Amino acid sequence: MSTDEQNTLTLPDPPFDSISAVRYSPTNPDHLLVSSWDTSVRFYEVGEKGGKESEAKAKFDHRAPVLACCFSDGTHAFSGGLDTSVRELDLGTENMRNLGAHSDSISAMAYSRDANALITGSWDRTLRFWDPRAASAQQSSHETPERVYHLDLVNNTLVVAMASRLFNIYDIRNMNTPAQQRESSLKFMTRSLACMPTGEGYATASVEGRIAVEYFDPSPAAQEKKYAFKCHRQTIDDVDHVWPVNALAFHPIYNTFASAGSDATVSIWDHKVKKRLRQYQKFSNPISSLAFNCDGTTLAIAVSYTWDEGEAGLKTAERPSVIIRKLGDEIKPKGWTGS
Amino acid sequence: MAKKKNKQIIRPWCWYCEREFEDEKVLMQHQKAKHFKCKMCPRRLNTAGGLAVHIQQVHKLEPENLPRIENALPGRDGYEVEIFGMVGIPAPDVADYKRRKEIELGLSAGSISQPQAKRPKIENRPLTEEELKAQLEAHKALMGVGSTTETPAPAESSGAVYNAPPQTYAAPPTSLPPMPPPGVVSPPPGMPPPPGFFPGAPPPPGAFPGQPPPFPPLMPGFPPGPPPPGFPMPPGFPPGGPPPFPPVPPGGPAGPPGALPELRRLRPYLLHQLLLAGFMQTPPAPPAAAPAAPAQQPPSAPPSTAAPSKDQTPESQAPPTQLVLPNPALAQTNPPFKKTTVLKYEDPNFSPEEHRAIHPRYFFAKQNAAAEESRGRKRKKAEDFL
Repeated sequence: MSTDEQNTLTLPDPPFDSISAVRYSPTNPDHLLVSSWDTSVRFYEVGEKGGKESEAKAKFDHRAPVLACCFSDGTHAFSGGLDTSVRELDLGTENMRNLGAHSDSISAMAYSRDANALITGSWDRTLRFWDPRAASAQQSSHETPERVYHLDLVNNTLVVAMASRLFNIYDIRNMNTPAQQRESSLKFMTRSLACMPTGEGYATASVEGRIAVEYFDPSPAAQEKKYAFKCHRQTIDDVDHVWPVNALAFHPIYNTFASAGSDATVSIWDHKVKKRLRQYQKFSNPISSLAFNCDGTTLAIAVSYTWDEGEAGLKTAERPSVIIRKLGDEIKPKGWTGS
Repeated sequence: MAKKKNKQIIRPWCWYCEREFEDEKVLMQHQKAKHFKCKMCPRRLNTAGGLAVHIQQVHKLEPENLPRIENALPGRDGYEVEIFGMVGIPAPDVADYKRRKEIELGLSAGSISQPQAKRPKIENRPLTEEELKAQLEAHKALMGVGSTTETPAPAESSGAVYNAPPQTYAAPPTSLPPMPPPGVVSPPPGMPPPPGFFPGAPPPPGAFPGQPPPFPPLMPGFPPGPPPPGFPMPPGFPPGGPPPFPPVPPGGPAGPPGALPELRRLRPYLLHQLLLAGFMQTPPAPPAAAPAAPAQQPPSAPPSTAAPSKDQTPESQAPPTQLVLPNPALAQTNPPFKKTTVLKYEDPNFSPEEHRAIHPRYFFAKQNAAAEESRGRKRKKAEDFL
């Protein structure tokens, strides 16, 4: 489709190995961080089709594959991965600073602007809070019942998705006990998680092509609204092929969300009316991560192998790429008038 | 067949500054001059470890105050990695460099980083039944040998693991008989070993008459035959008898400490010889530890700076072969499907990332993390072999 080509651009100098996460700057809609299994975190300035070229601005080499990264402000970011260290990255000077370490790989992180804290989750079954300005950066450590797989934050509400389909919901002002402990409403391993920008709830997805939309409010009326639906699957010769949903991301303004899977597709959903708004043309490889930029004009799509088939799949995988898609009306709910 | 060989594409390069060189000799000169030069005196050292020890011992600087390696790229100015020419470069960095080279040279991905093995000429025709059978037998034999290496019986640990770490061949040091000073009574090269040498063990194939000297020291390139069996200290080793090998050449592997990593790559029997000659004071690991040390190193772990001592704890370095549930009570099982379904990811207990993290290509030994944070501790290890 020609419109697809017009609306997408591919970043130069992509990582050499699978991309673990793409994250946009909270202030600059063109600044993107990409962490990768090739042990690097790369920092890009996204350009425009036919205008300014996209540019790889900085690269941070780590000792081991990087699984998570996030921005703090426009010029600083954090990273963590298999080497268990939490690092602060200075995007201007390309300096790295070690803040401390978990006792196992760091799998997820988020930065709270309200609390000025970095929150990291690890397979060592802890959540840790960090303040890069303090003399000893680690502020606190909180045990979780299972290995932390994903975490996301909206306002002061922290949602932590763990192995064994467990979820903890915290108020980050009181981390002593989780505000809520839930078991996933999906029957398979949790693969991705994203909080609604409105702070009402979150969406989560499993390895078995299914997405659940859930709400924080524990009242029965609110809980009645939660639901789950099938996606990222295909019936071939009467056999259902079901792919993991690797990434979810909410649009910062329209409250719609995008999902991406190992089936190499990206879909846009309006969870209020339970409708799919758009499915983008299939990509060449599985999608490992997604991110909307801060003003909601573009979607970054990380196309790379996600180890679903182990080492065997690596042989056929193509070089990873980061695709930036300019968004049009497909991302708006039908009849959007502005809120 | 005009395909260029690997070597011609990738020239020797310096890990510290990623400069290319005509040959490794020039590269080593460069490293001595640019990266391993002591700032406080005119001395130039061979390796980063050497420089660290020099600064600590000669200039009495605390390990914490070591200056970073000069002229190095960010992140490569530390002493953790022992580089000697092209030896010791961490595998991920090699891969990264090769991949960048591919792009620079406009080659397709994988043409350098995953060079295809030279393909023998194969006729493109269906194999006959006999050929298929023969191939199956060959495969079975191969697999059979592979499995026996799990429990390295001395005599069997020959061809299949010839590059394996030294301890595979090493016997507990207690059985070491007293040795005469090497070289005193060594037989002239070319003379076949005296009869009665190695009782109970078959003569090393290919090492006897017709191929003098029996063990050409440090020849690059292996003889095709397997290393002689029976190396793990034959029980009836004649005490006080002539040493079965020519003495270690001066300037050989027992030379500078920087050459120690090289030892791992030496022929097993040379290592053994070193053990006999008492060059390696560290007792070899007990045989029980051998199966845990696979021939390949985890890619992200830098080549060990003190090979023998590190080998004693291979468990901490080698990637685990299996993931372990921290809390088995929470183990999950996938519910059955009503319809015929192909689930593309089936493990209900471990994420793809967890599986990926223990793959040798990505595995990172967690202990390294702590050790590298405080360089003081790391340096202690370097002192092990001084």
